[in-house]
Amino acid sequence: MTTTESSDEFTPATTDEARDFLTENASGAGRAIFPVGGRTALHYGYAPTQPGFTFSTLRLNRTIDYPARDMTITVEAGIRMDELTEILKAEGQRLPIDVPQSSRATLGGVLATNTSGPRRLGFGTLRDYLIGITSIDAAGKTFSAGGRVVKNVAGYDLCKLMIGSLGSLAVITQVTLKVKPQPESSKLLWCAAADWQAVEAALENLLTSATRPVALEVLNAAAAHEISAEARLDLPAGGPVLCIGFEGAARETEWQTEAMTAELQAAGIRDVAVVDDAEPLWFVLTDFATSSDEPLTFQANLRPSRLVEFSELATSAGVSLTAHAGNGIVIGHLPDEVTTLDAAVKMLAPLQALAYEADGNLVIFDCDETWKQTIPVFGQARQDRALMQRIKQQLDPRDILNPGRVFSKDAISAVH
Amino acid sequence: MPETATISKIPAQALEALRSIVGETSVLSAHEQVLVYECDGFVIEKNTPDCVVFPETTEHVVAIVKLCNEYKIPFVPRGAGTSLAGGCLPVGGGVMIALTRMRGIHDVNLRDHYAVVGPGTVNVHLTQHLKGTGYHYAPDPSSQGACTIGGNVATNSGGPHTLKYGVTVNHVLGAEVVLPDGEVVQFGGYTEDNPGYDLTGLFVGSEGTFGVCTKVIVRLTRDPVAYRTMLGVFETVEDATQAISGIIGAGIVPAALELMDQGIIEAVEPAFHFGFPLDAGAVLLIEVDGLEVAVDGEAAQIVELCEQNNAREVRKADSPQQRDLLWKCRKKAFGAIGRLSPSYCTQDGVVPRTKLPEILKFITEASARHNIRIVNVFHAGDGNIHPILLFDERDAEQVKRVLLASDEILNRCIELGGSVTGEHGIGVEKISFMNKLFTEADLETMEAVRFAFNPSGLCSPQKMLPTAGACGMEHIEKSHPARRAAL
Repeated sequence: MTTTESSDEFTPATTDEARDFLTENASGAGRAIFPVGGRTALHYGYAPTQPGFTFSTLRLNRTIDYPARDMTITVEAGIRMDELTEILKAEGQRLPIDVPQSSRATLGGVLATNTSGPRRLGFGTLRDYLIGITSIDAAGKTFSAGGRVVKNVAGYDLCKLMIGSLGSLAVITQVTLKVKPQPESSKLLWCAAADWQAVEAALENLLTSATRPVALEVLNAAAAHEISAEARLDLPAGGPVLCIGFEGAARETEWQTEAMTAELQAAGIRDVAVVDDAEPLWFVLTDFATSSDEPLTFQANLRPSRLVEFSELATSAGVSLTAHAGNGIVIGHLPDEVTTLDAAVKMLAPLQALAYEADGNLVIFDCDETWKQTIPVFGQARQDRALMQRIKQQLDPRDILNPGRVFSKDAISAVH
Repeated sequence: MPETATISKIPAQALEALRSIVGETSVLSAHEQVLVYECDGFVIEKNTPDCVVFPETTEHVVAIVKLCNEYKIPFVPRGAGTSLAGGCLPVGGGVMIALTRMRGIHDVNLRDHYAVVGPGTVNVHLTQHLKGTGYHYAPDPSSQGACTIGGNVATNSGGPHTLKYGVTVNHVLGAEVVLPDGEVVQFGGYTEDNPGYDLTGLFVGSEGTFGVCTKVIVRLTRDPVAYRTMLGVFETVEDATQAISGIIGAGIVPAALELMDQGIIEAVEPAFHFGFPLDAGAVLLIEVDGLEVAVDGEAAQIVELCEQNNAREVRKADSPQQRDLLWKCRKKAFGAIGRLSPSYCTQDGVVPRTKLPEILKFITEASARHNIRIVNVFHAGDGNIHPILLFDERDAEQVKRVLLASDEILNRCIELGGSVTGEHGIGVEKISFMNKLFTEADLETMEAVRFAFNPSGLCSPQKMLPTAGACGMEHIEKSHPARRAAL
């Protein structure tokens, strides 16, 4: 094979090469395999517990079939998200999933990490679009599930299992997605609230709004300031901000921005700006989840009704955050002052406690690798963890794929 | 029809123990009592369970499952028994766990957009319960007046409105499940994005083979503000399917897009008197929903596309009563089939939407070839066909022809890049298609996943996967020589 860059990295040019490599590895040393795509989320999860091969899917980036009138597309998993977006755009279609660092991120990586963004409120997440998948397991066995039609209940839904599995079960090589038409119009409202109480009141009102937003973002002042600057927009960022997105036919977004402005003003939020050229702002809102130099980036999931309480607590600790308020998801960066593990643990403790109490969790996207010995990356252990480990053992009994990344080594051996 | 052989017989002391768990009156075991449970909506294969138990709590289910493990008795969960692929056929007899008494709506939380329901909750009861709140539970299978949400979870049910809103899995946030060994776990929860594998997504559609669902947390969706419901009348099925292609291709996502052909109209019209033209080749039931400001524009575009594809006329439902009647005709279409034939078999195939004209032509040919009348009413927007084969189940020769025609149609779906089931499931009916749709490696992986949940195989044995050699088909040989011959 000519595609091996170095002894520790392999970039197959075809899925056959990928399969052969994994088969040989399994029949020989059985070294650890670390699947990578655009390398935008390598810090998500625990550090590997064994040395091994980095397995790059970047050259598996072909379009296999795009029957645009069926509104499905089949592509190899190494395709970059921006490239996929361009292909779909040419037919007036899109995959309505917001992906940070989309110029680098690959579809396979985005699936493995279950990436989502602001528009998940209106359009759902990857599990709502992935209809077929082909993967290669640690033994080199190629398997598929689902198919190429938009509705299909034949066999177990391994698509769901693979989404968010962090490359721990198999290497995703090819996927079929259902896609949506491009909207005619896309707009964002930037609504500066006086305080958190006003945000809460507005969110309560939104439950019965005459409009149907596709995104409902809450930003604290720190995040609002950063985001408006990045998007090169002169928008107020003195306190918490509600950022509300509408998409659809032009007359729909037009009507909704007007109706929502009136609703917000009736609820006491007077400072409402309509961002008509919304693309740069969508981009920056999405990219906020990317850690630049912050000491730690987390995602909390909780009941939507507890989101403002959580955001207020985190803000008072100095966290910069945005939230998908309709979905109960908060993404936060710890402030630069947090330079030690102790300081991070101390700042996270009340946030973890609140997330757990609100039936959710707090997951670490990115931090110093050594901190992960102390901070639980996936939050508090859930009841179904043992079953997840049984699935991992069934599909990868030798723990070759991303060993330790999802279940720290100790936890895996605990069930033996 | 030959008497079904019972493979295992439940020991008397196990039956006694079951009675002590759920109470004397909540266990049925006399032959005439369990006879009703010998099949679901798929009537071609039948087998009676040894007994039927009616738990009322999760603790009951745990105790029942543990008892079955102790005695190594197979068990199968059942909701209302409306499934159409034999999903709750008690293969090998054993204990049937009927969940219809676990029908509480435990919690409705609009602020956090969820409801918690027992698995035996009838789908439409949740809909009625939510009326007036501004929220609804989106999946609306045609059997929603009878089917249970637990059953919907098991089969990942669809319905006419899934075109826009998605199927059951898109609306389930979490589930409490009694695993096949009796352990209770909760998948997912009241919040989204819980860490770890998406076991909720994996569980939905596992057809009762991963355990018994005892509680479901479903997502609630805002009600649409406005509807426009239309009826496009076409001279031929071809014109109607071309119109579907046109609508989807134009980037419009209607809330529903259903086709009824002349055969089904002939059954529906005398039953419900909507005023369907009996001489039309096909009608399309099209609904758009959303904001008042948007629906008229979309409706106008749809009318234009229908007319471009030779629609004779496009009628609009101009009152909520008319809309309700139109939907009643569609959803109760199956009930009207009794007017056409003593028995029927509803098939469930999927093709890419652009292949609809091709598959419908094939169905017409298959109908002629096997001399079996076939009528069509289906979810056209999803490419999910439901040819209904009419026959008399007392005539073994006819049964054989029905099975042959069904198999041909489903094989053609596979050839066209589709699937053999869009929403009914594999059950026992379609096990023999699994190795046409999937490779041995695919099935091995699915088997490995099942083993993680259900290592003993006692929970819903011989469903979904064509495993354990040929023995999965033995029950068919014993009870249904005709089917065996057809296979």
